[in-house]
Amino acid sequence: MKNKIILFITICLMLILVACSDDETSNEPEETEDGKVVLTGLITKHPLTKDLEDMEWLAEVEERAGVEIKWEEVTADWDQKKGAMLAGGDIPDIIVGPNAITDADFAQFPGLFENLKPLIEEHGSNIQAMFDEHPETELLSTQTDGEIYGLSKYQQFWPETATMQFINNQWLENLGLDVPTNWDELFDVLMAFKEEDANGNGDPNDEIPMDFAPVGEGGFGYFHPTVLLGSMGMTVTGGGGQGYFLEDGEVKNFFVDERYKTFVSFLNKLYENGLINDEAFTQDYSQYQALARGDGDEAKIGYTFGWERTDRFGLDVSDQYETFDPMKVSADYDGEVSWSYDYNELNFGVNFIQMSSATSNKEAAMKFINELYDPEVSLQVLFGSIGPNIEETGENSYKILEPQDEEMDPGTWKWTSTWADNGPMFISDELDVELPVDMQAVDEQQAPFNALFESLDRENDVFPGMMLKYSEEDHNQMTLVNTDFMNIAISKFGEWITSGGVEDEWDSYLQQVEQMGLPSNIEIIQGYYDDYNEQLN
Amino acid sequence: MALIQGTNTETLPKAKKATVLNTLRRDYQLWLMILPAIICVIIFNYIPMYGIQLAFREYDFTAGLTGGEWAGLKYFEQFINSHLFWDLIRNTLLISVTTILVGFPAPIALALLVNQIRWKRGKRILQTTVYLPHFISIVVLVGLLNVMLSPNTGVLGLLLAKLGVEGNLLASVNAFVPIYVLSDVWQHVGWNSIIYLAALAAVDPQLYDAAKIDGANKWQIIKNVEIPAIIPTIIILLILNMGTVISTGFEKIFLMQNSLNLPISEVIETYVYKTGIVSNQFSYAAAIGLFNTFINFMMLVIVNTIAKKVARISLW
Repeated sequence: MKNKIILFITICLMLILVACSDDETSNEPEETEDGKVVLTGLITKHPLTKDLEDMEWLAEVEERAGVEIKWEEVTADWDQKKGAMLAGGDIPDIIVGPNAITDADFAQFPGLFENLKPLIEEHGSNIQAMFDEHPETELLSTQTDGEIYGLSKYQQFWPETATMQFINNQWLENLGLDVPTNWDELFDVLMAFKEEDANGNGDPNDEIPMDFAPVGEGGFGYFHPTVLLGSMGMTVTGGGGQGYFLEDGEVKNFFVDERYKTFVSFLNKLYENGLINDEAFTQDYSQYQALARGDGDEAKIGYTFGWERTDRFGLDVSDQYETFDPMKVSADYDGEVSWSYDYNELNFGVNFIQMSSATSNKEAAMKFINELYDPEVSLQVLFGSIGPNIEETGENSYKILEPQDEEMDPGTWKWTSTWADNGPMFISDELDVELPVDMQAVDEQQAPFNALFESLDRENDVFPGMMLKYSEEDHNQMTLVNTDFMNIAISKFGEWITSGGVEDEWDSYLQQVEQMGLPSNIEIIQGYYDDYNEQLN
Repeated sequence: MALIQGTNTETLPKAKKATVLNTLRRDYQLWLMILPAIICVIIFNYIPMYGIQLAFREYDFTAGLTGGEWAGLKYFEQFINSHLFWDLIRNTLLISVTTILVGFPAPIALALLVNQIRWKRGKRILQTTVYLPHFISIVVLVGLLNVMLSPNTGVLGLLLAKLGVEGNLLASVNAFVPIYVLSDVWQHVGWNSIIYLAALAAVDPQLYDAAKIDGANKWQIIKNVEIPAIIPTIIILLILNMGTVISTGFEKIFLMQNSLNLPISEVIETYVYKTGIVSNQFSYAAAIGLFNTFINFMMLVIVNTIAKKVARISLW
């Protein structure tokens, strides 16, 4: 018995020793037989996207840059992986993905990422060209103390707003109605949708007059009714976010604006008349999308928000819908009308590629990164390789080809073939590109909003939220205030729409929000906006 | 009298004093069996405890967990002074206390009921059926709730609408706690009753026989034989449950949360997630977590003390 115990203890000690032994990690640069530098890379990619080793353009880029990259491909749960990886300090040489590493991460983990600024000056001619053509991209990449850790991107083809409003034109024709031009007319149209047999199937009760995307707890985004704040002249960005917007060069928050109260009262009027889908606040995004695709050739939704017709309504019923001009708040309103302006959010991107400070060969890594920002390469990052996905039709002239898989739509084909919107890129305005049919359709459907944006003062009425870089101290304070602020503002939004009461509670609500520290947040943002404007001009 | 005189106490062996070494030697099989669990607790709970100091320091990545500047009680004060503090406490307590009040007696009742079944095969089938929901993942359970409670297409949603319960239950502040608690009971009552069934199975059959001879009916047997038999188990589990009174569990509430039920569904755990994980405020989140743990620990000590005084049954 004593011998067995001794043996057991010995085995335990040996296991402990084995577990504690330290791995020797060589700091010498690895190289392949033919002289290429070996690097590690991580990319957060869409689940649809094929393996990186099958991408023709990527193989060519690595060849030209003289590198061979071992990729880790992350398709889900990056937020959870990231925290542990960064805190552990063990990161790959290159990390690719849309805001995969945030400005807050750079501030929180100093020394972990390489400052790319000197490397860009030496080896980053394409990146410098992007900075020269679009100075916003340099501001977007530069931290508050001048370093560059994450590179931004520019892709010129995206529209000016992500959220379009659609109405079922066939229902309007069936009921002999006109497209609404103000909120009172919208109310009348939606009431008719509810009370009459708008879709003509004999049942006057199966239509849902209005629906919008589920509202998260952190703020507003695309396809939310906050675009209707434009009916009173308020230009939100990114669908509304946490309420910060710009008006005549002054930073404000619509959650404490009188016009927001009017907006919420109107939605409450719609809701209590049964005009808004009563699952609007509890459905998830896939339910929201499925409902709009109707049942066979019968549509279910009368008025809603979406990205593009076929994307929103599917192939069977999308022909029934049309976009239309943003409405006024009332017939006698004579002020400006606006809409959510998302051009910055859609065409620029922040922190799409970054380099570890522990990279063994920084010049080789920078050459690879710079190669990605070659406009011709960037086009392939976005749409796929020249050959299977793109045809070169002349110097700086390209045509995006139809999907080789006939059952796929162009958007799915793009995401399957390449990094698409998840990739860093610089698609210069000098390129002449014939776009795929779905993106051309977006252009046509965008017409009512493009016309409106022609008179928009982009400098003084568009809040460049994604462009601003905050110091860590300011960012931390704003984050904590915003977390508390969103808790009350978003829950009141839902409550006031479904139960009413905005008039009674408005004053105490304003007091509460003020005590939370919203005014100081607005002041902080105003300061950064003024600095940003100064740098840009 | 003669029996007493006949006993010779001097011939009895002297009982050895109980010491740690003696129990190690005598019960070494049991200690070996529990050794992996002890090792796990030490490695994953005691060794990382040095990280608690993050709640008192500014987090500085370059200096590691222990190198940040000392901040004292700054983050605790920040949390207590937060505008959401009392709402978070109220929501957390409301959900967890209701869960204990409803969810704690339910498996006891189920165990006593199942124990009455004499048809062994039926008893086994019933027991298996009621504990299977325990293995449904929380994500799937919340998905089930969404589907069944939908006001337009859900089975329960439509049924409740006919019974006069109007509106979208998933969005209701008033309905959140009942839905959370009742679905929790449904899922775990079968599993939690197993420990009571095990305790009931250990009841000495002679007690049943003696009770029957004395003319006790079913209710009297339950009251006088079965419930006293499981009282120690009940008290031990109650003490353990009180150690989580100011925690609710993160996953289910996070999944059930939406903008309409946010006033009741924002609890300490979801708040820590939003500030600590989503917003990178590690020190603040660590302080809130430690605050949580401290209160739970105090509750554990208090309830254990009360149980020791009242019932002489306790954890230590």
